[in-house]
Amino acid sequence: MSDISYAELLRCNRELAGTLQGKGLRIAVLSNVVVAQLKEILEYTLRSRGVNAHVDLGDYDNVVQDCARFARHDGVVLFWESCNFVDGLHYRAALMAEDELTALRERLVGEIDLALKALLQTRLVLFNRFSSLLFNCYELREGALDRLCRELNQRFDERSPTHVLAVDVDKVIAQVSVAKSVDWRSFHSARAPYSVDFFRAYANYVAPALLSMAGRAKKALIFDCDNTLWEGILGEDGEEGIALSAETRQGRPFAEVQALAHGLGREGVILGLCSKNNPEDVDRVFEAYPDTGLRESDLAIKRVNWSDKVTNLRDIAETLNLGLDALVFVDDSDFEIGLVREKLPEVATLHVPAARYDYPALMRRWRNLFFTLSRSAEDTAKTRMYREEAQRQQAAKSFTSIEDYLRSLGLTLTLHVNDASLTARMAQLTQKTNQFNLTTRRYTEADLHRMLEDGAHCVLAFRVTDRFGDYGITGLVIVERKPQTQHARIDSFLMSCRVLGRNVERALFDTLVADLAVEGVRVLEAEYLRTPKNSQVEELFDRFGLELTDSSRQHRRYQLNVAAYAPASIDYIEIVRR
Amino acid sequence: MEDRVRRIMASVFGVDMAQIGVEASAQTVEQWDSLRHMNLVVALEEEFGVRFTDQQIDELLSFRLIVLTLKELGAK
Repeated sequence: MSDISYAELLRCNRELAGTLQGKGLRIAVLSNVVVAQLKEILEYTLRSRGVNAHVDLGDYDNVVQDCARFARHDGVVLFWESCNFVDGLHYRAALMAEDELTALRERLVGEIDLALKALLQTRLVLFNRFSSLLFNCYELREGALDRLCRELNQRFDERSPTHVLAVDVDKVIAQVSVAKSVDWRSFHSARAPYSVDFFRAYANYVAPALLSMAGRAKKALIFDCDNTLWEGILGEDGEEGIALSAETRQGRPFAEVQALAHGLGREGVILGLCSKNNPEDVDRVFEAYPDTGLRESDLAIKRVNWSDKVTNLRDIAETLNLGLDALVFVDDSDFEIGLVREKLPEVATLHVPAARYDYPALMRRWRNLFFTLSRSAEDTAKTRMYREEAQRQQAAKSFTSIEDYLRSLGLTLTLHVNDASLTARMAQLTQKTNQFNLTTRRYTEADLHRMLEDGAHCVLAFRVTDRFGDYGITGLVIVERKPQTQHARIDSFLMSCRVLGRNVERALFDTLVADLAVEGVRVLEAEYLRTPKNSQVEELFDRFGLELTDSSRQHRRYQLNVAAYAPASIDYIEIVRR
Repeated sequence: MEDRVRRIMASVFGVDMAQIGVEASAQTVEQWDSLRHMNLVVALEEEFGVRFTDQQIDELLSFRLIVLTLKELGAK
């Protein structure tokens, strides 16, 4: 994506603005220097990945006031540059007396506090760490500006709340080089220190955080086998002939890639295989090399057969209940990569480089695709859960009716009401759940904290367990009470696809309505807001017996007279309250 | 070279290539503001592999002057 020219980027960005659907993200870039070119570069970076972003620029050198002005944007990006804390600080700092520097530092700490306070409600703040690298990279000793930045970063770290992501700008500068990051001409003529090359790298660097907020993080990494997980062709070279051991020169890059994949699996990325091979042969490789990075137990899904990869990838997405755009596929073959790009453009494809020694470094770069804002314990348990799901599907085949089967599962639904310890997981659920999601409202931890505290909201998370295992916290309902009218409104209702097909949603809804009745709620309002991915729940509230009051292509609104609700009274799901 | 300049100007200003005639200038192209002027400079430098001086940047205010300046810098 960085290969298109700047003129082309400007043109494409304008075109994409006209074609992308959806509300998208509103982002503000606030700065004490001129960063005007970041607007279109950041918009293009996100729009070209399917998120309709709109970037507003703050006023020149008005960061603190602008934080209050743009606090309601989805994302706020802060370029607070040391060279312009005061005019010409990059050369003046060295001449300033100690007490002057201390006074300046304390003033800035106060300003940072004010800014962070103003942004407490903002869903995501990208706060560039203070840097002096553009000015000091030849200095052997730490200078006054370096020290000031270091101390400010320290003070920032002591404060940083969870919704602020500190962006290490020095890493971006390192990618681009100092010489190509800085534009001295525009620095002196327009207080615009950064080059277009820097902005491109910066936009790519921070995009995963913004995509994650929009629910667009990649979720599954699917590998081909031959020349992708090991060097050589299993069907021809046999399991002794292929190289994947860290003890051999040829195997070393593959061992490292496997270890990186194993690490991603631990972080919650779903790992799988999609390969043209005999399945027994591939299984034998994992048995023969038990100590290699990737274990058989890391793999949530395997499509090892002689069908074409397009069919297999479609099947993988369907089985995992993921959209195709959540998949990343790695293969060494030009043909397979080309075919997938052509037929399934939503799938991100990674081409194993012909120079194998470059492969691990590329894999480390690609890791960023899976960045998610909130990390939680559920992530690490995910592969286990997908495997348990496969066992459940097996068990399902031996029952005659689905009711019989569900009864045999021993399902338990545990309800957690307004549990602040679950905010990270709850925020993640709102950010990542696309299919069983009635309103698709994305919330950050800060949003949820606010709802937990305001007294009007009931935030109900639920955990599902059965005799095969624990699915973890897999769903969320947010209800807003309006006591003066005895109404309540379902703001969000979402559930991970892992627990679909068990009538959990109905058991939950029965319980919710019963609770609301006890609280004195007479009318429950609900709505369905259409997205490209949530058509499976379009008629959910109709099935529950709610009355449709208003509908259009984009939404359906409902009401329920709580006293007249007919519960489904599901007897095979036990409800537990925490 | 003229066509490449025209294409770049069209991309930067978000107008049709046909609207960039030989007489096009900061006076005739409505979208030619100071921010887009900086974008134009960057896009031209990237396309032709040249670097303008401050003085030249201030003067790149019409299609004709752009082509003239690029030729002075030896761009093809």
